Amino acid sequence: MRTRSLTALSATAALTLFITAACSDDEPAADSGTEPAGTAEPSDEGGAPSGDPIVVGSTLSLTGAFGPTGIIHQIAGEQFVEQLNENGGLLGRPVEWMVLDDESDQAQVTALYERLIGQEGVDLIIGPYATPNIISAMAVAERHGFTMPQHTAVLAPLMTYECQFPAWSIGPEPNAYVPEQVFDALESLPTPPERVAFVINQGGSTDFIAQGSPDDDADPGAVPIAEERGYEVVAEIRYPPDTTDWAPIAAQIRDADPDFVFNSGLAVDPVNLLQAMEQLNYRPPLMFSLFPAPGPLLGLGDVADGLLSVSIFEPNDALIQEAGPEAQAIVDEFESRAAAEGLPYTAFETQATASWNAWEILVAAVEGAGDTDQQAMCDYLHENGADTTFSGHLEFNPDDNNFWPSTQGLKQIQDGDWVMVWPADRAAAQLQPPVG
Amino acid sequence: MTTLQAALSGALVGGMFAVMAAGLSLTWGMLRVINLAHFGLILVGAYLTFELATSWGIDPILTIVLTVPLMFLVGAGLQWAFDRLGVEEFASLLVSFGLLIIVMQTVSNVWSADFQRMDGDVNPYATESVSIGRFVFPAPTLIAFVFAVVIVVAADQVLRRTFAGRALRAFAEDRTVASAFGIDHRRLGMVLAGLSAASAAVAGMLFALGNAVTPSTPFEWIGMVFAVVILGGIGQVGGVLLAGVLVGTLSAVVSATWSPALSPLVLFSAIILALLFRPYGLLTPAARGAR
Repeated sequence: MRTRSLTALSATAALTLFITAACSDDEPAADSGTEPAGTAEPSDEGGAPSGDPIVVGSTLSLTGAFGPTGIIHQIAGEQFVEQLNENGGLLGRPVEWMVLDDESDQAQVTALYERLIGQEGVDLIIGPYATPNIISAMAVAERHGFTMPQHTAVLAPLMTYECQFPAWSIGPEPNAYVPEQVFDALESLPTPPERVAFVINQGGSTDFIAQGSPDDDADPGAVPIAEERGYEVVAEIRYPPDTTDWAPIAAQIRDADPDFVFNSGLAVDPVNLLQAMEQLNYRPPLMFSLFPAPGPLLGLGDVADGLLSVSIFEPNDALIQEAGPEAQAIVDEFESRAAAEGLPYTAFETQATASWNAWEILVAAVEGAGDTDQQAMCDYLHENGADTTFSGHLEFNPDDNNFWPSTQGLKQIQDGDWVMVWPADRAAAQLQPPVG
Repeated sequence: MTTLQAALSGALVGGMFAVMAAGLSLTWGMLRVINLAHFGLILVGAYLTFELATSWGIDPILTIVLTVPLMFLVGAGLQWAFDRLGVEEFASLLVSFGLLIIVMQTVSNVWSADFQRMDGDVNPYATESVSIGRFVFPAPTLIAFVFAVVIVVAADQVLRRTFAGRALRAFAEDRTVASAFGIDHRRLGMVLAGLSAASAAVAGMLFALGNAVTPSTPFEWIGMVFAVVILGGIGQVGGVLLAGVLVGTLSAVVSATWSPALSPLVLFSAIILALLFRPYGLLTPAARGAR
């Protein structure tokens, strides 16, 4: 009897898991509760798309560690596809997006992209979110000769497949570009910092930005570049990605007494760090964090004021106007969709912009090639580049692994909001100097 | 100075892990249920704290007035189901893992996969601290430590001094004999599981006081909490607090004096060594535990 009961319970649990997984994994873009992306009503402007749909396949991390950012790409992608169909589709055909949940698991990405191409027979693919996942997807794309625009893998040296096209570029040497830009900005201040503390997440991309190539002294990262530029490195603290106790790190920074903290960190790392330092009654004069989750930082109030980070776009009035007349509507629509999904931070910023760029690169390739021939798409992008709403015209040079000259700048929290502050020609506000 | 400060902060963080581990240890030791869903209940406790504080404006600590009774009922209900369906010790590991995944997915559907964190206006504790001399005690972990002491001392006293506690210990030793003496193990089990779940609600509140949460956060806790449970001795609630403090302190000291990156390496090596000499927990000599 007990065995039977246990079997029944296990079966029920397994069935529930299966249903849950099926709901989240396999439905083309319908798992967020919205209409499937390919079924939107066409507008009068573009004419109704007709014929067999063009199916775009991808995975996204809708659950797991990358889930907080994966959902931003899902919302942006759904919005893009819906808008595309409202304006006549692609080559006159409707577009459907089949997005599977890779559960933030790199191991699943390979199998899911194989499934999308081999079993589901998708016409096009677009990359997943997060560098490890994108690298896995890129291997499948290369094996099948697919052209793959990808949203966020910025480690150019790793992205060697000639038909992957980055939608967010920090140039061919991000490990030099980021620190050089940060230190250029700091040195524009009347009294630049002199003493720098580095706090480094041991994740792949963050460690690479901080240290550069481990096998090549000629390819340095932020720490050696800071030393080379004459900064005194007063602390260099590495922490594992799953750090839960931030007090020891905060105490070390406080005791090192830096003018500037360079946090090569991710997600809520700077939130935890700032909070832990505040608990010690200490605030660093100025701090930079590489890839933070933008919303929770704003929730810290004045504790986070002045924090710097990287950005390819912020919905500041000046940048929206620069992006053109469509930009405001895209930003507004995204914000309303993000709010409806319950996201705590709804701004259309770097992640959403990268997503939008990726879709625009895909559309440019198909329209330029005149069909969905993968090699023709790849060749078209190499020869002609792609126009994007938020990052302008992009040129893809295979010698640089298709990483285009970066438009990335620096943003800063000022009066409780993110504003672009660097470079000067893209700034919506002035860079605020260190406190104290 | 840095090392001492880190050690103090680490000890307080250990208090939070002790609260997380207390319920798990008791249900494992007394009821023979390895309840991974406990982490799901902590997660729900954290999200309910967030929701009640941000939407209803309730002080985050006071949210336990609502979440503790609710979680008690959930925990008792789960134990009723485990008991009725005859889920044995190791089967409970698999079943409760499935439940944990279901809870995480449900949380993701309700609150989104994005980070949720109480803003400073509803959670004044996040950036507060208490200073004594040159040492600083962060408010969220200090509060967690106080709760840990209260919960552990109360649970220990109940287990030692009340009939129900003695009955539970007897049941844990030998179910057949205990039942023969008239112990209603089903009812006691539901009460214990309910209290364990109630402690998960408290742990969730304590975590949300100082941290952002996402649906996948439980995976960050599992390794550390299991280490505390095993090091403290399965079912030994007093040992859980000692183990939590030791684990938290060691981890913080290694972080401050050596490198945060080496902390897990040193910590889990030390735990393996400790278990070689004290396989039944820090408070139980090997000879006694083997009996």
